[in-house]
Amino acid sequence: MKEENQKGTEHPLSVIINDTIKVFTELGFEVAIGPELEDVYHNFDALNVPKDHPARDMQDTFYIKGENEKVLRTHTSSVQIRYMEEFAKSGKKPPFAIIAPGKVFRNESTDAFHEMQFYQIEGLFVGENISMANLKGVLSYFYKKMLGEDINLRFRPSFFPFTEPSIEFDLKYKGRWIEMGGAGMVHPNVLEKCGIDSNKYQGFAFGPGLERLMVIKYLMPDIRPAYHGDLRFNQI
Amino acid sequence: MKVSYNWLQNYFEEKLPEPEKIFEGIIFHSFEVEDVEKVGDDTIFDIKTLPDRNHDCLSHFGIAKEVSAIFDLKIKDKKIKTFEPKSTELKIEIEDSKCLRYMGRVVRNIKVGESPDWLKEKLHAIGQKSINNIVDAANFVMFDLGQPIHCFDLDKLASSNLIVRNGKDGEKITTLDKKEVNLDDSILVIADEKNPLAIAGIKGGTKAEVDSNTKNIVIEVANFNPTTTRKTAKKIGILTDAVKRYENEITPELCSIVMDSITDLIYILAGGEVEDIIDIYPNKPEQKIVTVSVSYINKRLGSNFSKEEIESVWKKLSFEYINKEENFEIKIPFLRIDLNESYDLVEEVIRILGYDRLEEKLPEIKLDRKVNEAYYKMLWIRNKLLTDGYSEVMNYAFRDKGEVEVLASASNKKFLRNNLTDGLKESVKLNLLNISLLGIKDVKIFEIGTVFFKDNEEMHVAYGDKKGIVELTVEEYFSINCPIEQSKDFSIEKFISFVSHEDNYKIKEFKPWSLYPFITRDIAVWVPENTEPNTLFEIYKELGTELLIKDPELVDKFQKQDKISYAYRLVFQSYDRTLTDEEVTNIMSKITDKVTSLGFEVR
Repeated sequence: MKEENQKGTEHPLSVIINDTIKVFTELGFEVAIGPELEDVYHNFDALNVPKDHPARDMQDTFYIKGENEKVLRTHTSSVQIRYMEEFAKSGKKPPFAIIAPGKVFRNESTDAFHEMQFYQIEGLFVGENISMANLKGVLSYFYKKMLGEDINLRFRPSFFPFTEPSIEFDLKYKGRWIEMGGAGMVHPNVLEKCGIDSNKYQGFAFGPGLERLMVIKYLMPDIRPAYHGDLRFNQI
Repeated sequence: MKVSYNWLQNYFEEKLPEPEKIFEGIIFHSFEVEDVEKVGDDTIFDIKTLPDRNHDCLSHFGIAKEVSAIFDLKIKDKKIKTFEPKSTELKIEIEDSKCLRYMGRVVRNIKVGESPDWLKEKLHAIGQKSINNIVDAANFVMFDLGQPIHCFDLDKLASSNLIVRNGKDGEKITTLDKKEVNLDDSILVIADEKNPLAIAGIKGGTKAEVDSNTKNIVIEVANFNPTTTRKTAKKIGILTDAVKRYENEITPELCSIVMDSITDLIYILAGGEVEDIIDIYPNKPEQKIVTVSVSYINKRLGSNFSKEEIESVWKKLSFEYINKEENFEIKIPFLRIDLNESYDLVEEVIRILGYDRLEEKLPEIKLDRKVNEAYYKMLWIRNKLLTDGYSEVMNYAFRDKGEVEVLASASNKKFLRNNLTDGLKESVKLNLLNISLLGIKDVKIFEIGTVFFKDNEEMHVAYGDKKGIVELTVEEYFSINCPIEQSKDFSIEKFISFVSHEDNYKIKEFKPWSLYPFITRDIAVWVPENTEPNTLFEIYKELGTELLIKDPELVDKFQKQDKISYAYRLVFQSYDRTLTDEEVTNIMSKITDKVTSLGFEVR
């Protein structure tokens, strides 16, 4: 670290995000982004999360003072909706695949592994025959790139209003099973709401958090310093 | 919800697999199990039922159905009706459609008393207190079958008429936990001709409370609208086990078997004369039939399951069905409110057969690679700033001032940032304090992130050092700094090059830093010009002990005749305590002694 005019150092989360983008871009996924301050329609309604239903309590949402229809997005799944709406409007036909890295927000108390803001990476692949086995294939491919060939992936039943079936997936890494995130087959209602024919097309979506991956990959004891603006964090 | 292993066993003739096997089975085929605890000769599972299965699985029966399907064990038939009902004078009237079904039944001449040990034990095992045989029976059946039950003292009613109606403005009710609740016309109540007796689906009132002197009771087994029950419970701030079940929607069909079950149990525990059921049931749900084909299931799953394998799932789940060639017409059990379309049945197939049966297959479709231009610009800027020597930071989106305020934050920083500069200035300050730890000459940093204004959000970039911060939108920065000939070239190859470097995917180990203050000492020493240049560095490294947090840093060097002066900066810090000046002075004097003993001169 002594030469003059040296390159600046990178934030480890950016390194993880860029590695992720590299894997998926090379597979043909297109990067998509969307607003962090989202409307209730894109964050909940279009994702098949009914109003006044306990499912909305699954995530602790930040609502905005003086705005009934705005929330800080609780997941990057809202980007799926925005992308698919545009896609369908433009008259294009599947297949398509996107990857959406982005900051999301949950109104929860924080600890060494939970923050009120964190990064998710949303993946979505829709086509005529995109299946749950493809989901397993793609996730396994991704994590092997990120963590090495010596990992195992397993699915467990779960529930998200916007996927059917829904699963939670775990990775076996260094001898331990670690819960990584949620995924599933895009719920036909979600495709229909965006103007995509759910009788003809189907696909998968996933949305694991990236901090978890950073923590296990770099053996970090605590994620909180990630947002302290401290350059000592830029070691990777 | 807490589920007892022994309680589950009551549903089966065959001996259940060991608790560990049940635990595993539930995790991989149904729900998360948050905790497993041995209590006496029982094992208690804390099961986190999924939101779409709270309809039918917030009960031992619900979990027993899962165990039955997972392990292919038959649930035994339950024999009830040990009583002969008599005619009744009970009358029930439903005035509002928020009540979907109301079953009432009078039992006379019961004996309220202590519950038998088996009942107390069962309730205790799942963390419930025993109150008396009537209340315990109602609780037991709720945790057994998932349907809330309420009992009124018939003699405390104005007459034998029950009315399900909306509350009236100004009306009040005192609940069993002695809370006074003001009613209004959005709150559904169960009333006699004079007073409200219970808040429908939420909590009973003291007015018709069952106590040790109660002789005659009315058993309520009813069903209420999930949304309004939930809203009312939130509004009056009462959350009960009953609310938890109603708000998730239960089928009104469940009422019949529950009424049989609770009557039977009360009759066994407290005796009495059972009267006929009054059942007001305006809209019985229709029997759902869902058709699904073998090819559809395999297409969604990417699997190759045979017809027979899929058929085995319906059998395990005890679904009635008709098979027509490759189609199955499934008669959906009333309890399974979550199953409505063919895609819902796909999940049933794969979770029961097991997700480990899915292969890992990469999609065979070749996609056109496309570039997201906004993201391209961000990556371009990031690369440029890194190359220009700026280091990347990320700060919180939440600050103590801004234009957009979040509601009910767990933090005191309630505003969303409307600029990156404020946060970046703080980062510059923080890193200047640590500059000797970082081993850099100057703190140059940048951040790319979203900022929030009253009516919109923008992606900004800010960069700078202690002299100042520049902040622009990503668009502005890109159009100013990106050379014209490159600014239109959004090629996928370029895009991938921005996220590529020699270290891609490399696994490294992060080193946490000490949270204790550090102490810096500078030492300048004259050495003869022919001295090995590393001599001092090695001495400092060795004698500096493990408290020397980083390599000695050469901060100055000059020559005078045949002597060279080397000035080094040493930084000391401990991982487990605040260092004292004395400790560091001790180390420094050892270093000085060593240097002097070699004939060098400390300046």
